[in-house]
Amino acid sequence: MSQVTANMPESASSAPSEQATAELNRTWASPAGFFGWFTHVNHRKIGFRFIMTSLVFFVLAGVLALLMRLQLITPENSLMGPELFNQLFTMHGTTMMFFFAVPIMEGLGIYLVPLMIGTRDMCFPRLNAFGYYVYLIAGIVLYLSLFLGMAPAAGWFAYVPLANDMFSPGKGMDIWTTMITFIELSALTAAVELIVTIFKQRAPGMSLDRMPLFVWAILVMSFMIVFAMPTVMVGSILLMLDRTLMTQFFVVASGGEPLLWQHLFWFFGHPEVYIIFVPALGVLSAIITTFTHKRLFGYTAMVLSLVAIGFVSFGLWVHHMFTTGLPHLGLSFFTGASAMIAIPSGVQIFCWIASLWGARIRFATPMLFVLGFFAVFVIGGLTGVMVASIPFDMQVHDTYFVVAHFHYVLIGGAVLPLFGGIYYWYPKATGRLMSERLGRWSFALIFIGLNATFFPMHQLGLEGMPRRVYTYLETMGWGNLNLFISLSAFVLALGFGLTFLNMWMSRSRGTPAGPNPWDADSLEWATDSPPANYNFRHIPVVRSGTPLWDDAIANERQFVSGLRNDRREVLVTTLVDAEPQAVVILPQPTIWPVLLAVAVSIGFIGTIFSPWGFWLGFFLSFWMIVGWLWPRRPWQEN
Amino acid sequence: MRERFVIDVGDFSRFNPGPQAPVWWGILGLVVIEATVIMAFIATYFYLRLMAPAWPPEGVEPPPLLLPSISVVLLLGSSMTMQWGSKCIENEQYNRFVVAMFTSVGLACTVLMLRWQQFQELGVPWDEHVYGSIVWTIMGFHFVHLISAAAGTLVVGILGIKRYFNPQQKIGVVVDTLYWNFVSLVWIPLYLVVYWVPRWL
Repeated sequence: MSQVTANMPESASSAPSEQATAELNRTWASPAGFFGWFTHVNHRKIGFRFIMTSLVFFVLAGVLALLMRLQLITPENSLMGPELFNQLFTMHGTTMMFFFAVPIMEGLGIYLVPLMIGTRDMCFPRLNAFGYYVYLIAGIVLYLSLFLGMAPAAGWFAYVPLANDMFSPGKGMDIWTTMITFIELSALTAAVELIVTIFKQRAPGMSLDRMPLFVWAILVMSFMIVFAMPTVMVGSILLMLDRTLMTQFFVVASGGEPLLWQHLFWFFGHPEVYIIFVPALGVLSAIITTFTHKRLFGYTAMVLSLVAIGFVSFGLWVHHMFTTGLPHLGLSFFTGASAMIAIPSGVQIFCWIASLWGARIRFATPMLFVLGFFAVFVIGGLTGVMVASIPFDMQVHDTYFVVAHFHYVLIGGAVLPLFGGIYYWYPKATGRLMSERLGRWSFALIFIGLNATFFPMHQLGLEGMPRRVYTYLETMGWGNLNLFISLSAFVLALGFGLTFLNMWMSRSRGTPAGPNPWDADSLEWATDSPPANYNFRHIPVVRSGTPLWDDAIANERQFVSGLRNDRREVLVTTLVDAEPQAVVILPQPTIWPVLLAVAVSIGFIGTIFSPWGFWLGFFLSFWMIVGWLWPRRPWQEN
Repeated sequence: MRERFVIDVGDFSRFNPGPQAPVWWGILGLVVIEATVIMAFIATYFYLRLMAPAWPPEGVEPPPLLLPSISVVLLLGSSMTMQWGSKCIENEQYNRFVVAMFTSVGLACTVLMLRWQQFQELGVPWDEHVYGSIVWTIMGFHFVHLISAAAGTLVVGILGIKRYFNPQQKIGVVVDTLYWNFVSLVWIPLYLVVYWVPRWL
């Protein structure tokens, strides 16, 4: 530490007056009121919105799934026709992947990372807000299209030529391509922001090897977003151009290549799965550390596996395309790569097992979800190894076996840890614990409902039931299993519903939590629940990988002084060792992010109807960016 | 529990003109994202070329070289004028800084006008064959980026007229130059792909 001075006051608690604390709180406050809402930039406000909005989309997509299950409950059901069914599964997949899974993981990162690394806000607070509005507008437009009966209907991966304007006339696919580009924009802004915040704003002393594994996971996720999302943007831009300006990228008659779409989509699409899964690994590590009350086994191995998963996941995309007639050598390579990802995943699983081994585990609800993850994810992993083998994949391609596989890995790998995370961090965000009793019921129903819903789908797939059919004949003999699945789906929905009920009721009725209800080790538990506007009264100095526990042993906490109370100052530290390096001043609440999001929306939505929409949006956005960045007086102030 | 202050940052400068400023890293992130987008376009170009029986298709000549080659020189020149601008700020020569910014914008506008002519000379529309589609898209993508870089630098120049920048407060110039260099230098690989690949390969 460069700036240690001897003449500092010994005790930090007596030094700040209540007046100074009140001033600091005012400085970091978010304006109240309806119009004030649109000016918020604080990371906890924006992160919370990301989480709540994506939970709303989770419920909407879940309702769509239940509607599909109602249609499939008996053979030759006439509840809905094929057009609506196609719209429903397209919207279900699109919503779950783009509007629920990615945004909620980003939201979790945006909310928690600054608290975990001991800073007062993220580095680009306004960009954060912009990303949220872009996401919100994209979601609203997509669902408006559903209620207007013009929703996309070509599946969540929108294969051409089905998605070309010849086979998907109308505006549905145009809305899909533009809204996908939109949501990628939101994800990319969040990713850059998370990377820079993690690199440059960690509390002094939190070198990279002392960073919580959750923060590592968010860092890896963000890098994956940066390198994966651009290809799907390019893909959807090309599709958009094909549909609006008559370019010929995917039109075979003019030299176009439908498989180009599949390459571009899955080059993003497979990392996408890990973009969802990697933060969930971070959640698991945080929960396991806390509920075993010891440092996780194999920290370095865990970090290396996270990074390895990030890299290897970019070499897997072709295993989604095994049945497209690609060269044999290529297929073998991708089979090998697909099997290889089992190595870092296995290292993680074994590290967790070693951490749990011999520990006194507290079986609170978050821990139950973690244990549920192990069971469900291992089954999903096993079927994953099965479909990584090409001959087997050819048999079950496009059947319910694949549906069963990816619901096991996605619900098991991401949703269960996520719900564990909700129970775990809810007290930090609200100051109250969620009900354990309701939590256990919720977990039990989710666990039973999930297995009862998706396990029989393996059997249906092996019996040859194709995915995405709106009905089936009675003579196929799939009726009983489908009936069972449809009923189980409602059990699963009830399980999720109980957690939402629990969240709602515990807001006012839950047991008050205090700063650190679980006796956890990381910095977010060092401050009040919910944290005051400024997060930390003083920026902490970190001396180990489990700072709260070690501070308690040393019976001493160390802080940084010298940040001003009358404006939003945060500390910048060096990338590897987190040595104090600079102080930057963050912007105040502002309306410009909303205005820019609206300008960008005008551009994107306008482009659906006329190429001039693009230029209109382009120049409107330019003016908004100028307004956003234009310096405010006084120009020079140190 | 004992609580101690061990680090004081009260006397740190609040001006951060270089890589210690988060915004420098943010713009670097933007550049990495844009570079990935460009790689995806180039990969698309080569994939389509690989799949095509003839590239460019029968009866289409590779586009003429003169104007894009001039553009390479002009864009490299504009990177130099931007660099010169940064030096001027460092030496507190504020009038020269404004001249440097407007010269860069002028060079970019010249390239934009040449580009307009290049579009006419491509000899293939975007809606007949996939060759035309990808060439138009790559060129258009860079065209739009040049407009953004020029517009942003115009604003930096105007702020220069208002004497906003000085040696401590110049992060706006630094990140604008960073982005500018990306936009101008990325023309070189795009130029090689669009203009030389159909000749060489």
